[in-house]
Amino acid sequence: MSEMWINMGPQHPMTHGLWNLRVKIDGEQVLDVDPEMGYLHRGIEKISEDRHYNEVITLMDRCCYVAGMSWEHLYVLAAEQALHVEPPERAEYIRVMSDEFQRIGSHVMWYAAFVQDIGLMTPFLYGMRDRDLVLDLFQSYTGARMTYEYMRVGGVRNDLPPGFIGEARKVCDWLIDRFVEYDQLCLNSDIFHKRCDGLGVMNAQACIDHGITGPMLRSAGVRRDLRKDRPYSAYDRLEFDVAHAEAGDVTARYLVRMEEMRQSVRIIRQSLDWLEHHPGPVLAQELPRWLGAPYAPVGREGYLLKRNYPKGLGFSAIEEPHGEALAYVVNEGSEHPYRVKFRSPVFANVSAARQYLVGYRVADIPPIMGSVDVCVGEVDR
Amino acid sequence: MAAEEWSGELARHLGDRMLSLIPFARTLGRVKFRPEAALEVFRTVHDDLGFDHLSMVGGIDWVDHREVLYTLWSDRRVAYLFLSADLVGSDPHIETASAVWPGANWHERETWELVGIRFDHHPDLRHLLTPDGYAFNPLLRAFKLHEPEELEVKTRHV
Repeated sequence: MSEMWINMGPQHPMTHGLWNLRVKIDGEQVLDVDPEMGYLHRGIEKISEDRHYNEVITLMDRCCYVAGMSWEHLYVLAAEQALHVEPPERAEYIRVMSDEFQRIGSHVMWYAAFVQDIGLMTPFLYGMRDRDLVLDLFQSYTGARMTYEYMRVGGVRNDLPPGFIGEARKVCDWLIDRFVEYDQLCLNSDIFHKRCDGLGVMNAQACIDHGITGPMLRSAGVRRDLRKDRPYSAYDRLEFDVAHAEAGDVTARYLVRMEEMRQSVRIIRQSLDWLEHHPGPVLAQELPRWLGAPYAPVGREGYLLKRNYPKGLGFSAIEEPHGEALAYVVNEGSEHPYRVKFRSPVFANVSAARQYLVGYRVADIPPIMGSVDVCVGEVDR
Repeated sequence: MAAEEWSGELARHLGDRMLSLIPFARTLGRVKFRPEAALEVFRTVHDDLGFDHLSMVGGIDWVDHREVLYTLWSDRRVAYLFLSADLVGSDPHIETASAVWPGANWHERETWELVGIRFDHHPDLRHLLTPDGYAFNPLLRAFKLHEPEELEVKTRHV
């Protein structure tokens, strides 16, 4: 049989987004791969240089369309450091709760898509049904189901509506029971094990060398989680365990994500308890007036006055549903950020595709790439 | 670790290849190094100082020069470190880090096409996010999204 290159993508059921995996095959054997990205590149980092600090948050939702809340959190943390702004404590708890609901939303979406890829249709419907409950919660306090624009430099936009905490608790109780069913559907299925066990193996050293983070790294036995190692917002005041597995294969990644969702419910319950008993402001009280408006109007006629802002550099690192997301914001004293740079975890995870795809067969590519959880929006930015 | 102890350790390992250490909140700081000695700096930081994880490579266009910025993480020290080098001249270039951290490959491809910093001896320097043959470096300050708006600003005379 002769060797040849085939394209899996840009339109292919495996890709879950707009990207192209070029695969060099000999019969069914994968000899080499070359992921082609960029179909969704919108130049978010460049556009940010042209926007005011709070306007960039809109772009963050589009960065990752299944984890918008986490990306907003990433950006506002960096911007707050660059602009010397401190958010109130209640806002930090709301952010943590939103992050964890977003993690569940993202992981359930991943579960639905991934398990469908390997031939189990029922879990797809269950997953989509339960994700809607999380989106309903988001809608109740942000007004949107996907692009929230909820966090602000210096806090969050609005407080939780009355009755929200009870609803959120109900969703938590519902979800924690569903996770048991998810496991029963998959782990008791021969199809699942035949298509997942021992595939796409990455050991810990290879993961670290190639910059792989998140559930992929933890499934290889490395207990690294920025929420524990470098706590941000309110994570140092909450109790949870770092989910991890040893095998480093597709099944191990499944187990890690399932455990992460259970831990997320644990974190959400603690933050709901805190939020119930600690009312307060959700946006910094002494926010500079210019934040959000480039020129502060002076007087009744709306005279414009350009301000001199304090310079600064902001850096943030958070544990996003897909892995470690990093950002820095360079503030050179103008009303726009001078430079914004984001590190997408999926970008690094996909760049190592050669390491976990070569040597397997063509039919193994969908489960392996499914277990990577590709979100093209944040790879291309 | 105390700040003096850390800067002493850095100075001992990097010697005159390090130009300065700028402290930065909640990280081990930003180390400026001489770009000619890039490969030795990468090896030392990776092998001797234990920063085995390269998180990202980025570039900043300061108009008169460009800065390349590496973000590193160490599991042993549980902390981030920035390495940065100022590249002057019309053709800014630096040695690739992908020989030390294989994960640098795509980050450098991205920095090359968007910020226009060339990485010498890179194994695969092709366009990643922009189409082949794309002749611009969008993240340079000279690349304008639109012409500056003519804002009529009224000034107040006091």
